Amino acid sequence: MGSEKHQTKTTTSGAPPEIVKEREMFVRTVLRKGVEFTEELIRENKRYGQEIAKLQTENARLRAQIASEDAIRELLGTIEILEKERSDLLARSRELERTSVKYEDRYLQMEKELNDLASLYVASFQLHATLFPRHVLEHIGDLLDQFVGAKTSVLYIIQPDRRTAEPVAWTKMDESILKPVRLGEGVVGEVCLTGVLMIRHEILSGGNIDNPLAVVPLTAEGQTLGAISVLELLQQKQKWEDVDEELFKLLGAHACTALIASNLFDNGRKDPLIALQGIRAKLPQNCTGFGRESAVDIVR
Amino acid sequence: MSELSCLVVEDSPMMRQLIVFALARIKNMIVTEADDGVTGLKKLSGNHFDLVITDINMPIMDGLKLIKKIRSDSSHKAVPIIVITTEGSEEDRARAIALGASAYITKPIQAPQVITKVKELLGI
Repeated sequence: MGSEKHQTKTTTSGAPPEIVKEREMFVRTVLRKGVEFTEELIRENKRYGQEIAKLQTENARLRAQIASEDAIRELLGTIEILEKERSDLLARSRELERTSVKYEDRYLQMEKELNDLASLYVASFQLHATLFPRHVLEHIGDLLDQFVGAKTSVLYIIQPDRRTAEPVAWTKMDESILKPVRLGEGVVGEVCLTGVLMIRHEILSGGNIDNPLAVVPLTAEGQTLGAISVLELLQQKQKWEDVDEELFKLLGAHACTALIASNLFDNGRKDPLIALQGIRAKLPQNCTGFGRESAVDIVR
Repeated sequence: MSELSCLVVEDSPMMRQLIVFALARIKNMIVTEADDGVTGLKKLSGNHFDLVITDINMPIMDGLKLIKKIRSDSSHKAVPIIVITTEGSEEDRARAIALGASAYITKPIQAPQVITKVKELLGI
């Protein structure tokens, strides 16, 4: 038995149980550590997986952003092109507008010229459309009143002594203020003497018998034979028109001849057909056609 | 476009011719002329006119009486009337308008002014 006390127990492998136990403990510890390490690895793996997913999402977002930025850049390029086109179109539009305004101005100018020509044509047509002095004077009055817009006017005729001009016709004025004018004296006398048209451009109101707004010399065959004095204008007439001066020139050249013709007719024959007879006899013998002398005769 | 007819009543041949010139520039416009209100009324009777243009100061029958007569005639009651006058006063215009004139133009007239007014009244 005593020997049994000193006998050391052994295992099947022959190693002492403490060693076996210690080995088992070691193995268990290693295994546990392995398990823990594996678990740690799994957790780590999972974490990395999540991180990768996160990065992939971020990557996708960044890719989308880059794509979007490309689209924006493309859009900006398109906008730039469109802006240029817009600017070109605006420039073209402005140019067209300028052209349009130019044509509109030209059209208005032509319209005005047409209107002025119509007025001049009608005035000249009507002045010579009658052989009665009264009607010629009426037409002169109408021309002054309705075409020019004269409110008051006087027509003077120079007397045979060529010293004075007598008022012979007038519109809407007190006759008591009318008197003959001496040639060379006052505005009317000056125009009768010089034959130069006078228009007061600076002022269109406040005219009177001594200071008329316009005086038109009446001429025939190169001589001044009278004058028309415009004293006042209608209240709606705010300024002289370009055509007014043309109408005055027309009056100056046509009113006198129309008055002379009608007065001669009135003093003589009353039948216009009779008055026309004998015209041919008044032409020179060597004239051709409408009264011009033949070229041969002119050379001689 | 059908024909349009206008009666121009004006005693001054010069003014009448100028108005006719202006109206001739409106397409399909046929113009009839009269030199006083009575002649104007005679031309109106039994005829249709799309427009009447009349002066105020005329012998025999003036423009205001003519307007009154036209407006009292059922067959011409609605015809537009333009008054052309030398008078620039508001009173004359008011009288013409009160009697039934549709519009007025003061002399000296300008053709474009007449054309615009006529087109406006005829809706062309």
